[in-house]
Amino acid sequence: MTGELLQLSSLSGGYPPVSVFRNVDLTIGKGEAVGLFGPNGHGKTTLLKTVAGLIDPWDGEIRFDGRRLNAEGVMAARISKHLNYDLFRRRRIQARDVVRAGLIYVMQGNLLFPEMTVDEVLHIAPSASRGRSGVSEMQSLVRDLFPRLRERRHSKIRYLSGGERQMVSIAVGLLALPRLLILDEPTLGLSPKLRLELSEAIARIRDAQVPLLVVDQNVEFLTSLVDRLYLFDHGSITSEIDKAHMPSHDEIMTMLFGSAP
Amino acid sequence: MAIDTFIFVLISGIVLGGLYALMAVGLSVVWTTLDVFNFAHGAFVALGAYVAWQISQSAPGPAGFALAAALSVAFMFAFGFCLHFGIIKPFERSPNIVLLAVITTLAASSIIENGIQLVWGPREKQIDPNIDMRVDFGGVAIAGIDLLSLAVALLALAGLAVFLRRSATGRAMRAAAQNREAAELMGFNVAFLFAIAFGIAAATAALAGVFIGSLRFINPSFGADPLMKSLIVVIFGGVAQFTSPIYAAFIIGIVEAFSIYFLGLYWAPAVLFALMIAVLMIKPEGLFGNRQKTL
Ligand SMILES: Nc1ncnc2c1ncn2[C@@H]1O[C@H](COP(=O)(O)OP(=O)(O)OP(=O)(O)O)[C@@H](O)[C@H]1O
Ligand SMILES: [Mg+2]
Repeated sequence: MTGELLQLSSLSGGYPPVSVFRNVDLTIGKGEAVGLFGPNGHGKTTLLKTVAGLIDPWDGEIRFDGRRLNAEGVMAARISKHLNYDLFRRRRIQARDVVRAGLIYVMQGNLLFPEMTVDEVLHIAPSASRGRSGVSEMQSLVRDLFPRLRERRHSKIRYLSGGERQMVSIAVGLLALPRLLILDEPTLGLSPKLRLELSEAIARIRDAQVPLLVVDQNVEFLTSLVDRLYLFDHGSITSEIDKAHMPSHDEIMTMLFGSAP
Repeated sequence: MAIDTFIFVLISGIVLGGLYALMAVGLSVVWTTLDVFNFAHGAFVALGAYVAWQISQSAPGPAGFALAAALSVAFMFAFGFCLHFGIIKPFERSPNIVLLAVITTLAASSIIENGIQLVWGPREKQIDPNIDMRVDFGGVAIAGIDLLSLAVALLALAGLAVFLRRSATGRAMRAAAQNREAAELMGFNVAFLFAIAFGIAAATAALAGVFIGSLRFINPSFGADPLMKSLIVVIFGGVAQFTSPIYAAFIIGIVEAFSIYFLGLYWAPAVLFALMIAVLMIKPEGLFGNRQKTL
């Protein structure tokens, strides 16, 4: 395999002045499905939002397909009670560049656009991939994966259930023709039945050769889905596990918390 | 009240409502997308009117009027588009953007007004649309320019609605208004979409200004009254939907026309404000509003 798809090198970031994650090293190869697992509130979403270009990284490097996505150098921590430095500070990463490179992030608990209909949202979704080949194949994959969206195409997002909204979010991500699709807790807060339905859909997305980075609280789902698993704790990657050595739920808990609960 | 007087007052109220709708929609498009209140909206109306007046000086006849209106609208779109990058964009990530935008838009309004005064002087002007036609409505003669202003306002509003609901750019604009982060994650250039929203607001203001300038005299600070009226309309109707300020504008226009007829010019604003306060007390989100604020 020549070159990695996504490569994070000693990436740090947070919400100034609060540092959330530090020195994160993470790589995803072409055609790989990778999982990220860690306790609630330890900064997984913050890390992914940074990679997606929504918040500025403080230090380190984000490389996608060999190209650097964030500005060089360290973010100057200039915080003043008197002056608004934000006015002069340039963004260190642009979500638009990230999307254009093919790195698509599906936000956790994405509320999308409450007053737009499913159809309208799916209509503008491929804007990032317009003109590229494979759009119509992807459209038919999305139709196959989420037949329910067709039934609800005239409903406003506001009136969808959490699971349906999640389906729209994933569909929107897919329609951008991702070269890497990042799913942040796609099964959070869903009923067991819907959780199963979405897990199956995500497995089918992996089988369709879409490289994945998935965060989820459900270890069984994650270990069955991915080729590699990163454990994330207190803002850093603590270990990396191969498919061949995929541990059980209890073993992971021991690795994260010291002893099984 | 004789029936023909009633029809006359009603129609002038509806004509007024069309202009108010045009102005209020611009205000509410900015409010719903950029989350800021644009105090320069009245100055946009004035500048649009003056630009059209200038062009109509060298372009005679009804065709000249049409040309003046079109060029003024195009110019104001570009003007609003650029102005966004100067007075709103620098503050977009600031937590107190609402307050900052009050100050920057007020400043822009004052600069525009004084700029108009500098270029065109303080004397009152009027755009001559060269439309002398009158149309008969049940024995009441209505000026052609009145009907034209109503028709153009309705067409422009319909065009804007189609743009927002059907076109990819319009949908992207609504998306950015409803969830900025999600729109960024779809690869949209949100700053560009916001600038378009600001440009659209300036363009609709200009169109309203052109017609106001051909119905009455204009001076450099005449935008204050349209700004006030659009504010009343937006508060009265709410901004839950694209259409809510439009309905409200027609109600306000008709109420104003009848108050002027019955109570006189000086008391009409009091009636409107009383109405607005009553709505604020009973239904603070506006007559056609809900707590949502969307495009
Ligand atoms: N907008 C914000 N501003 C400031 N702090 C924030 C913000 N969002 C999250 N945080 C803080 O950052 C830390 C990490 O949160 P984050 O959402 O990244 O964790 P997470 O690992 O994704 O958790 P979960 O599994 O619950 O999704 C938390 O302590 C949280 O309180
Ligand atoms: Mg999270």
